[in-house]
Amino acid sequence: MSRHERWAAGAVALMLVAGAAIFLYAPTDYLQGPVQRIFYLHVSSAIAAYGCFTVVLIGGLVYLRRESLVADRFARAGAVVGVVFTTVTLVMGMLWAKPIWGTYWTWDARLTSTLVLWMIYAGYLLVRRLADPGRQAARIAAVVGIFGFVDVPVVHFSVTWWRTQHPGPVVVNDALPPEMLATFLLTMACTLALAAVLIAIRYRIETLSDERMHMAEEVKVITAPEPRMAP
Amino acid sequence: MNPVRVAIAVARKDLKSEWRTRELVPALAQFVVLALLIGNFGFQVDTHNASAIAPGILWLALVFAGLVAFGRTFAAEREQASLEAMLMTPASPVAIFAGKAMAATVLLVLCEVVLLPALTLFFGTPLSGDVVAAVLLATVGMAALGVLFAAIVARVRARELLLPLLTLPLWIPFIVAGGQAVQSAMGLPGSYQEAMGLLLDFDILFVVLTSLAARFVLDE
Repeated sequence: MSRHERWAAGAVALMLVAGAAIFLYAPTDYLQGPVQRIFYLHVSSAIAAYGCFTVVLIGGLVYLRRESLVADRFARAGAVVGVVFTTVTLVMGMLWAKPIWGTYWTWDARLTSTLVLWMIYAGYLLVRRLADPGRQAARIAAVVGIFGFVDVPVVHFSVTWWRTQHPGPVVVNDALPPEMLATFLLTMACTLALAAVLIAIRYRIETLSDERMHMAEEVKVITAPEPRMAP
Repeated sequence: MNPVRVAIAVARKDLKSEWRTRELVPALAQFVVLALLIGNFGFQVDTHNASAIAPGILWLALVFAGLVAFGRTFAAEREQASLEAMLMTPASPVAIFAGKAMAATVLLVLCEVVLLPALTLFFGTPLSGDVVAAVLLATVGMAALGVLFAAIVARVRARELLLPLLTLPLWIPFIVAGGQAVQSAMGLPGSYQEAMGLLLDFDILFVVLTSLAARFVLDE
């Protein structure tokens, strides 16, 4: 078992523990019924997604300052994992909203800004695919990542000013019973560990693909035909 | 070199080349009129609902005209590889970027000169100073972001695909505030003053951010 395989197995085990806590330990919500159990993973993966995009932001800033390849690989890894967690957040949120709000989608601040977040970093991944790999692609992607991070609170604020109906933060203002709070904190810790492991694996993949590209370039240089001597 | 003079020189160069070819502005004008035509047949517009529908059509037409316009911003530079030549001069990349953004803003404003009266003509909505001010204020920030991302995609394959995907999410704050401002100027509920204040804040934020980022996008 390689190091990364051990980490992956650990992350899966942690998520199973979190699942057990969500379904077996946490009490059923009086008003919402079992649907409320979506909350634990929904909020945790939203927090994990923000964490991943923070990695993209910091990676981009460091890359622009120092041209560090390590920072750029972390940014690439963070973007992929972040988009996955944003997708999980959006889909679980919609599944919760249908029975509780009576509709899958509504244009409130948090939903709109999460959708925009998804769009921006999906665009980031497209930039990475379409730009020729190298310095230029890394710089361009860094700028996209930074603008994306700034745009999300701005969208959030502008739609809040418009109107809002997303349930407010229940964790910070002490509205959760202790069993629910414990389950939530456990799920959040496990999800963050999963995100970290996914980023580490993705970082390894990016390193290997950089090395392969580098090797391909060296081969090209060796096999290029000798320039002819001028007469 | 004085950056302000560099920016003005770049903007004048772009506008002069547009004046000589007269390609983009007529094409954009025709584009926005066609968008209004589609809006008219896509909705059942009559005198009662025109003021509810017209702001939406205005922003759709403007956003897509903007994408077409900003997609062309670096077309001449790309075709003749003149951007590299401009960057080799001692002029600062930020000043060159500011010049391109100024020229693109003027071209988009020219397109609005067609769009707003046409909207009034076809939908019977008022063409007031309030509507014009809201659209102009949104144009500034949208142009700064649009030109920055046009510069970004200029060196990427499939740039026509990528420009809307990157630019539209970042324009959403301008559409939210600008949409509210135009709606209230056309008689729908909502605070015009507050929306205009928000538009001004977004303009300042994104003009500052794009000027900071321009160095990393253009410099090579």
